[in-house]
Amino acid sequence: MFLIDLIMDIIAFFCIYAIITLSLNFQQGYTGIFNLGLYFPIIVGAIITAYLPGRLAMIIYGLDPKLDFSANNALVLSILRTKLSSDPLTSILLLTLTLATVALVCYFIGFLSSYPALKLPADYLALFMLCAGESLRVIGMQTDWLAGGVMGITIVNPFWWLGGYSYYGIASFTIISTILIALLYHRLCESPLGRLLKSIRENELTAESVGKDVNSVKRKTLAFSFMILGLAGVLHAFLMGAVVVGGYTRVDFSFWPWLMMIIGGTGNNIGVFLGTFSLVIMRRIMIVGKHYFWFLPFNVVWFEPILLAIMLMVTLVFRPEGILPERSPKIKDYLRKVLKLES
Amino acid sequence: MVPLPILLTAIVYSFILSLLAMGFTLQYITLSVPNLAYATIAFASTYLTLTFSLMNLSPYVAMPFGFLLGGAISFILYKFVAFLRNRGTSIVGLMMATIVFDLIIYAGMNIYADYLAYVFKLYAGSFSLSEFDFKIFSLPAVLFVSGLTSVGLVAFFTLMLVKTKFGVAMRAVMENYSLASVHGINTERILSIAWFFVGGIAGLSGSLYPIWFAMDPWVGARMFISIFAACVIGGLRSIYGSLLGGFIIAFSEVVVTYFLSLYFPWIWAYRAVTSMVIAAFALVEMPSGIAGLIEKLRRG
Repeated sequence: MFLIDLIMDIIAFFCIYAIITLSLNFQQGYTGIFNLGLYFPIIVGAIITAYLPGRLAMIIYGLDPKLDFSANNALVLSILRTKLSSDPLTSILLLTLTLATVALVCYFIGFLSSYPALKLPADYLALFMLCAGESLRVIGMQTDWLAGGVMGITIVNPFWWLGGYSYYGIASFTIISTILIALLYHRLCESPLGRLLKSIRENELTAESVGKDVNSVKRKTLAFSFMILGLAGVLHAFLMGAVVVGGYTRVDFSFWPWLMMIIGGTGNNIGVFLGTFSLVIMRRIMIVGKHYFWFLPFNVVWFEPILLAIMLMVTLVFRPEGILPERSPKIKDYLRKVLKLES
Repeated sequence: MVPLPILLTAIVYSFILSLLAMGFTLQYITLSVPNLAYATIAFASTYLTLTFSLMNLSPYVAMPFGFLLGGAISFILYKFVAFLRNRGTSIVGLMMATIVFDLIIYAGMNIYADYLAYVFKLYAGSFSLSEFDFKIFSLPAVLFVSGLTSVGLVAFFTLMLVKTKFGVAMRAVMENYSLASVHGINTERILSIAWFFVGGIAGLSGSLYPIWFAMDPWVGARMFISIFAACVIGGLRSIYGSLLGGFIIAFSEVVVTYFLSLYFPWIWAYRAVTSMVIAAFALVEMPSGIAGLIEKLRRG
């Protein structure tokens, strides 16, 4: 059972990071939008997940309005757990509403934040996004009623009706969502839109000169990626069963995905999957292995950023294009396509 | 009327922030690479100040050592970034290289904080050294020291840029790297020294910080928002604009938030976010910042 739990845990976390790195690859690898603030929409997703489903459930079941979901968290959750354990329909409704709300809000925020962001050169756009993420993290940590502030908050599980298998329920849902999102990104990247994005990445001026509205495309790309990243935030929150906004750091939710993408191969979705898988496995091994270093006068967890830094350094120096570099289409493929069209 | 502690906080903070903003802009101009590790480099030296205090020495003794520490880290970072740039690494790769240093320093600070907790039973995850400060005319010494350091460094820097051969060469490198190189200027040497100097400024600012403010390993990440906002207000590529931007952001974060907190008490907790709101507004309404505004006024 322990082995199954461990495998499920690794797969679920791989899925979360796969969604994040695929979104990053869509922005940076395909469109050339340099975004270091990936954790901004992830935090939005997590905060809405902490706020919305619990309160909605309270309204649906007519709980005492004097009870506050955040302040009386343990009591409210124990009541909701009893109710939701025998009510799969409401549970699924809560899950669907949360996902829909996060998708809408994140798309809107992505669209809105693109206005100041796209006025900036690439490097300052990255800084702007990074600072926006850090600002939201500060807001989340300071606002108790939103997501429990510094201490965090325990949230409802939309799969409580599965009894002892509720974790498997949310993990399976995460896996299915990841497969769907990966397929969606694959279709987008292989479509004419994917080629348009690449042309913008390579030379914005050329793309503009053939009548493409570069800013509009970039804005929609950013908004779409924000939406998917927000959904990753929802899935992560449900998987953890709690939201601690302070835990959504730039290292864990921006720098690690960047490393995963760079190691795997920027602009190549399969490479990104490979990079994500290898690093998730490595991080899980570190978490298990840290107990063997009990004798050190500091927490071994700090080796993680150092290891991340060393790996990033080695990759930048020795293999900047990643394990699986972006495939450039061969002349033969083009000829085949042209001949097919002519015939 | 602004209460004295609030005013003093605003003044000390503005001196520190404007120096950091100036340093960040200067590094950006020289290499066109925003140094994401800049704030973390600055706050690495705060742990040096803490160590000196633990040895019963005045925290001000740590200042020159903070300068050297900041300068040394910045110098090594420059060498790494320059090495990658010479290999044709993109801007994304170069910024990632600065993140490498950010992560190592951040982890190093936390390991040192854990070590202090383990050996001295001292909670170094969050601390302030204001009790080690002394008074001058009934006012905290850090007010005068930070003011003198800021004014002195800006005056020194201005004189160096205008009056010395090194300064002229540095301006040439900042204007056009390739052209300066063609004219026989040793660009690598100029940039190495510039990065050491600017890293040193960061180290100095960081060593002063815990004498007035509470410090923890996350301060760098939070303070980066304010540094970025100050640079945006200043006009992104203007050194003196960023200095002014530092003052505007510091006073907005402390004094303006104080006045707002009289009516909305909850707002005080969000003062770190104030700067980001101002930066976003400036980007939309005044993208070229104060430098652009001054330029526009000059042209009539």
